[in-house]
Amino acid sequence: MNVAELAQILDAKVLNPGVDLNREVESGYVCDLLSWVMAKGAPGCAWITVMNHMNVIAVATLLDMACVILPENIAIEQATLDKATEEEIPVLGSGKTSYELAGLLYAQGVPNPVK
Amino acid sequence: MRELSLHILDLAQNSLTANATRLDILIRIDHEKDNLSITLADNGKGMAPDFLKSVTSPFTTTRTTRKVGLGIPMFKANAELTGGSFDIESEVGVGTRMTANFVLSSIDRPPLGDMPSTMVSLVVANPEFHFHLEYAVDKEAFVFDTEEIRQVLGGVPLDTPEVLSWIEGYIQEGMESLHGGA
Repeated sequence: MNVAELAQILDAKVLNPGVDLNREVESGYVCDLLSWVMAKGAPGCAWITVMNHMNVIAVATLLDMACVILPENIAIEQATLDKATEEEIPVLGSGKTSYELAGLLYAQGVPNPVK
Repeated sequence: MRELSLHILDLAQNSLTANATRLDILIRIDHEKDNLSITLADNGKGMAPDFLKSVTSPFTTTRTTRKVGLGIPMFKANAELTGGSFDIESEVGVGTRMTANFVLSSIDRPPLGDMPSTMVSLVVANPEFHFHLEYAVDKEAFVFDTEEIRQVLGGVPLDTPEVLSWIEGYIQEGMESLHGGA
């Protein structure tokens, strides 16, 4: 499943349209503590977080993640989205909670990140 | 970071990389102002104004192996998450000083964490380095200074097991006696 297909399944919106959505989603993770995610995330990961600052894009870039997913219609600054586009990180937005989004990912058979 | 002491451990590495010989770690708890501040001040090579301006951005780093540096940005974000603030100043050839203010009672403020073992980790890895820890709670303060310890010990290196174990206990007792509760 690539990021475009994931967005459809989650009924999520691509907040930085124009970014490449062909990246394969290999795993899923939910956490809001960035240092924790740095230690636990993995390349190809779809990361669900309520955090919306630039550091999120930096962590996603660092770990070469497939995408970032913001739940509960959390707003994000345009400058942060522009940086995400520059770093080729799709940012998806959804009205669902982290819990619901993780449930949908899990139901699709998306596993935990493997380091 | 889950604990503030982990930020301190992480950021001390910046001072070592900047060729500092001394790092002051000042932790102040002020119940009246509902504030916990952490100041890190070193005598390292400092940063030029342009680099300093961008240093709170996670896409600024001196690393050549990767383009992302999150030490300072995460420290700042953590302080701001509690309703606090972050400030950094630096001068080339003089050093760098940064202060993060956390709202003490904020539910999003991480606990201070294990400072005694943090200091021991720093001393083990850098036994010749001058660390100065000051932990103040309201009007009382506890000070741990590796230079003072070195003078008392004569020629005994700080990274001997007995000395390290004493250091850990000394800091633990000193901090507990002030009842900061952070």
